[in-house]
Amino acid sequence: MRAMIDSLRSFLLLELGKGLFLTLKYFFRPKVTINYPYEKGSLSPRFRGEHALRRYPNGEERCIACKLCEAVCPAQAITIEAEPRDDGSRRTTRYDIDMTKCIYCGFCEEACPVDAIVEGPNFEFATETREELYYDKDKLLANGDRWETEIARNLAADARWR
Amino acid sequence: MPKLTVNGIEVEVEDGATVLHACEEAGVEIPRFCYHDRLSIAGNCRMCLVDMERAPKPIASCAMPAGEGMVIRTDTDRVTKAREGVMEFLLINHPLDCPICDQGGECDLQDQAMGYGFDSSRYEENKRAVEDKHMGPLISTTMTRCIHCTRCVRFATEVAGVPELGAIGRGESMEITTYLEKTLASELSANVIDLCPVGALTSKPYAFTARPWELTKTESVDVMDAVGSNIRVDSRGAQVLRVLPRLNEDINEEWISDKTRYAIDGLRRQRLDKPFIRGRDGKLAPASWDDALGTVAARLKKAKPAAMAAITGDQCDAESMFALKRLFDKLGSGNIDCRQDGAALGGARAGYLFNSTIAGIDEADALLVIGSNPRIEAAVLNARIRRNWLATRLPVAVIGPQMDLTYDAETLGDDPAILADILSGKAKFAAKLKRAKKPMIIIGMGALARPDGAAILGKAHEIADAYGVVAGDWNGFNVLHTAAARVAGLDLGLMPGRGQMDVAGMYKAAEAGKLDVVWLQAADEIDADRLKGAFVIYQGHHGDRGAHIADVILPGAAYTEKDGIYLNTEGRVQYAGRATFPPGEAREDWTIIRALAGRMGVNIGFDSLDELRAELFEIAPHFANQDEVKSARWAKFGGRGKISSTPVAAALDGFYMTCAVSRASETMGQCLTALRADRAQDAAE
Amino acid sequence: MDLIMNSYVIELAWIVGKIMLVVGPLLIAVAYLTLAERRVIGFMQLRKGPNVVGPFGMFQPFADALKLMAKETILPAGANKVVFMFAPMLTFILALVAWAVIPFGEGLVIADINVGILYLFAISSLGVYGVIMAGWASNSKYAFLGALRSAAQMVSYEVSMGLVIINVLICVGSLNLTAIVEAQRGMWFALPLLPMFIVFFISTLAETNRAPFDLPEGESELVAGYFVEYSSMSFALFFLGEYANMILMSGMTTVLFLGGWLPPFDIWPLNLVPGPIWFILKVMLLLFVFLWVRATTPRYRYDQLMRLGWKIFLPFSLIWVVLTSGFLLWTDNLPAVMAG
Repeated sequence: MRAMIDSLRSFLLLELGKGLFLTLKYFFRPKVTINYPYEKGSLSPRFRGEHALRRYPNGEERCIACKLCEAVCPAQAITIEAEPRDDGSRRTTRYDIDMTKCIYCGFCEEACPVDAIVEGPNFEFATETREELYYDKDKLLANGDRWETEIARNLAADARWR
Repeated sequence: MPKLTVNGIEVEVEDGATVLHACEEAGVEIPRFCYHDRLSIAGNCRMCLVDMERAPKPIASCAMPAGEGMVIRTDTDRVTKAREGVMEFLLINHPLDCPICDQGGECDLQDQAMGYGFDSSRYEENKRAVEDKHMGPLISTTMTRCIHCTRCVRFATEVAGVPELGAIGRGESMEITTYLEKTLASELSANVIDLCPVGALTSKPYAFTARPWELTKTESVDVMDAVGSNIRVDSRGAQVLRVLPRLNEDINEEWISDKTRYAIDGLRRQRLDKPFIRGRDGKLAPASWDDALGTVAARLKKAKPAAMAAITGDQCDAESMFALKRLFDKLGSGNIDCRQDGAALGGARAGYLFNSTIAGIDEADALLVIGSNPRIEAAVLNARIRRNWLATRLPVAVIGPQMDLTYDAETLGDDPAILADILSGKAKFAAKLKRAKKPMIIIGMGALARPDGAAILGKAHEIADAYGVVAGDWNGFNVLHTAAARVAGLDLGLMPGRGQMDVAGMYKAAEAGKLDVVWLQAADEIDADRLKGAFVIYQGHHGDRGAHIADVILPGAAYTEKDGIYLNTEGRVQYAGRATFPPGEAREDWTIIRALAGRMGVNIGFDSLDELRAELFEIAPHFANQDEVKSARWAKFGGRGKISSTPVAAALDGFYMTCAVSRASETMGQCLTALRADRAQDAAE
Repeated sequence: MDLIMNSYVIELAWIVGKIMLVVGPLLIAVAYLTLAERRVIGFMQLRKGPNVVGPFGMFQPFADALKLMAKETILPAGANKVVFMFAPMLTFILALVAWAVIPFGEGLVIADINVGILYLFAISSLGVYGVIMAGWASNSKYAFLGALRSAAQMVSYEVSMGLVIINVLICVGSLNLTAIVEAQRGMWFALPLLPMFIVFFISTLAETNRAPFDLPEGESELVAGYFVEYSSMSFALFFLGEYANMILMSGMTTVLFLGGWLPPFDIWPLNLVPGPIWFILKVMLLLFVFLWVRATTPRYRYDQLMRLGWKIFLPFSLIWVVLTSGFLLWTDNLPAVMAG
């Protein structure tokens, strides 16, 4: 009996009909797509986007060449060279991030004792060539200057959990 | 031999050992800052506290002599709490600047804070700040980080013998200082950097350049002097960034000289990184290996064996010297010499070794130094003499100019005739030498590298025979070389035979126009102008004296850039590893000679380093025994003849710039400048 | 002479004109079918689909076409060049020539031949050659496997499709498509022959290699199937051919089962709407179902596909032929041609 009902069921394509009805129902549902370049989703303050090197309010760069980010970087994307600056302070002479190697894990940000290297909210930095993705210190500092307001806001928003 | 119990493990230690030693014997590690095996006990950091049965409070294990039946516990809550307390006190005034501190990553305080520190501070008052002190061009100071372990003070006073460091003030206002803001006038000064358990004293030339975890560590051997200090070469990529000592109780213990440590920046400057050929206009022009080897091959083919010669330098590895010797043998020439200073060495092996071994210095009970300044020729060895002097008031006498050896030494004068006085017993020191059970003679290049060197060596031999310097197991006759390559060169027979030219002969032949080709293998301590008459092939790594007169330059590798065998002044065989590759087109030296031999159609019998070494071990089997000294049988050596009255001078005229590498080093230049400035200041006062 | 010339020229011009009239809108329809597919599937997956190029993404097909044309044509080194280039052309041409016999309205047909259904069936069967040629000429494992699968699948489902068509034919008694449509004036064949309608529709899915029978181009195992090595315009021709085939199959289904250009009920105001509009609406409805099914069903396994074709559809449609003809014989309703 049961077998008969089952075969009748499949013969009448009931499941198929149910499936089709379901997709039709979804056809009329409101859509979840965000119309990307015109609309953007909200980003968490912890969002890990493009890197930036920050400065202190007086314009002094924060990075002190401790090389912790370089050491912690699992992709070995960071290269740092350092030497004493003319005033004797410890500064980098080279701070490169190979963005094509970077996996955006945020360890560098976490390792940084002075909040110098951060992953900012910018994720729209696609380029036409790979060379443009080999960021040097100037590029990173320029990023820091451009995104400082947002970065500072995000850091403040997340400060309680740091 | 007291027996005691550490954490329930019974251990037996030697008399005079401390509780800390006993704990280590039992396999328990005790944290410490001020205690150091090679320095006196200070007991002021209190980190090594342990519990002792029936003691009312924890005891400082480093300062407590081990006693019979002591029961020590290091795993009690009280010990942990005591250590945590000490750590918290230490951290009160220690700045939280690890990220900018060069000690970060290899810091004792950092490591031990991981074990005994707390994650946050209870101290809310202002931390103290201390003004940084000037300690010269090598040591960078950040005195705020100092935890007053006084290791540096004890090192300067005890080992280096320059009591210029000290502590002033008490308690929180205690400061380590050089008193007069002067450069530490020691050849061993930079060892305080290794000793400093925190980042108070760090290396100035190395400042901020790298972190320990970035560095590739290669075990190697120093060639700046003939001691053969064991070193660790830290490199990153193509650059040698620093040199650290490696523990070797028989040679350098754990010290190295400042030159060993800091001449390495010379490896980056004035390097020969491509072949050069001197053109028709008299200027050296870059060339290809093909052209350079072609030119050399043509010249060597054209020259008669009697009119070609070779001089090997002071820092050559045994392999490249052997390869050159093999090439010259095959070309039929015996005009090869490894003694570029013309020292009268050779013959019996006992006549050119530091026979007592360096460790033997500890046993000596009288010392006669002839024509040597061990302080600048072998600073680490000098520290050993000083230690013996500190412990036993070792009587030391010097034939040579007046000098400060960091210990009391009787200057007998610089007249070579004093040797005869000693032999005849007339000299004052003769009695002390006679009384000694293990007398020692150290004869240096100042006495041997002179025309009558052979006669002086012969006289010294007579003195040794007369005063029992060689008796039974004890052989106190020591030659102190200044060249790291010298013993290996002599062992391999890089000296002319009868009727062949030594260095002096080559000078004469070149001036007479009878020398067609001379091959300089990294030989820079020569009278370059006198060789100009010949076609000069320079195989080496620095654009120094030899390269300036060269007609063809074959760029070779410096000591950090090749695997090599070195024999130190004792004849100890040591293997050095390659830390980096030679720069540019430069190649390892033996490969250059192999390529040239191939070019000339000469079979020199090896195609790889292993094959080369196998050939080398055939003629000198003891080279295969790494870290071993093959002792020499006491035999006849030296010559007879008239000893001139020329005063015995020092072999080296200074410590800092003695070779092609150190002459190219900026740091060594700064040291020299600082030294001169301090001397000038002293003279003015 | 002139007269003859003139009449031929005019005749030719008229035919070419008619062809243009069909092919032009057809190509545009193909273009928008691709857009419709992406939009419909997008909607069913709660997405929006392409909506940026032009209003509602209306220019998206043209952007895609431009992109395809601008791309480099790659000829694989090991390919048989002639066959490789000929295959997409064949596929595309076959997808177009079939339209010659499809009636859009009463008398609105390019060639109203008596064996129209036979012609259609023959042309759609030829499609498999394009696939086989592409797969073989590419000299690629994936393409070859895809082509084999595709050929096997098309051949299998043609058998049951043929039997289904026989069902319709014995009801009509003519192979002329206009006659078939006219025969449905009282009632569309979709109602009395509902099971056959469903079998036929599912078979058309298989015939056009559409989901859930898109094994020949199964991305997960064959990358893209028989046209994996194609690029640029040759790829575009395959693409156009596939979609033109979909429209053709929908048109065929409409003619056979949904009463062609006839309104659903011959009542006012439905019968005021012109026939071609009804035809187009029905085709569009069927195309929507094509897309709908694709958005709903997962892909068949190959053995399941074959089992469905040979063990279920074939016997089922065979039985139904017997049933239909038996019923017609019993009620003495056999069409005159056959009875005679």
